[in-house]
Amino acid sequence: MENTIKVERAILDLTQDDLAKKIGVSRQTINSIEANRYVPSTVLALKLSEVFGKPVNDFFKLSKDD
Amino acid sequence: MDCERTKIEKWSEFQLPNVWKLRGTIICLLIFGIMIALKFIDNEPLWLKDVLRKGLLVGLLIVTLSKEKIEDEMVTTLRFKAYTLAFIMAVMYSLIQPVADYIVNNFIYEASKHNDFSYFQVLSFMLIIQIMFFEILKRNR
Repeated sequence: MENTIKVERAILDLTQDDLAKKIGVSRQTINSIEANRYVPSTVLALKLSEVFGKPVNDFFKLSKDD
Repeated sequence: MDCERTKIEKWSEFQLPNVWKLRGTIICLLIFGIMIALKFIDNEPLWLKDVLRKGLLVGLLIVTLSKEKIEDEMVTTLRFKAYTLAFIMAVMYSLIQPVADYIVNNFIYEASKHNDFSYFQVLSFMLIIQIMFFEILKRNR
């Protein structure tokens, strides 16, 4: 799974900490998601979608390995 | 009415508040200190040793069951990964340790009748491994 959360976050001018607070997780979790070390649950993905105002498919993409 | 699976899922989600992590650590350190001190006493009471061992296990269990300051889904995932690793390693430990003990006691040293392999060894090993792996996974997330 690949994602463009870092880009979406930059568009909204949010730090990792700001985004983490908005969706109720730790900063390290946002960092791990951005680095593709952790795939979030559907609930978390939908929370991100709400913050970015975009559908989940716009910032999460399946990679060739998936 | 709750089905059996829902009940099990509720039980598996049981956790203590974050403040218990420190309390559990203090309990473990205190008991560990007392256990070390008792090693220097000649007639160590057996009942006390047993109580201290159980106390140490309770302390370790409290630490493993305590929430983090920010308990999110990633921390929960890491915690369960650490439980899985600890369980597998404890089973391997309980299979390998008696064999290693037997070899050491019968081939390397003289034969001994004091090859005790207790539940305390396995459980404390499992809980310590869980705490250790959880901390390692958390630091490298």
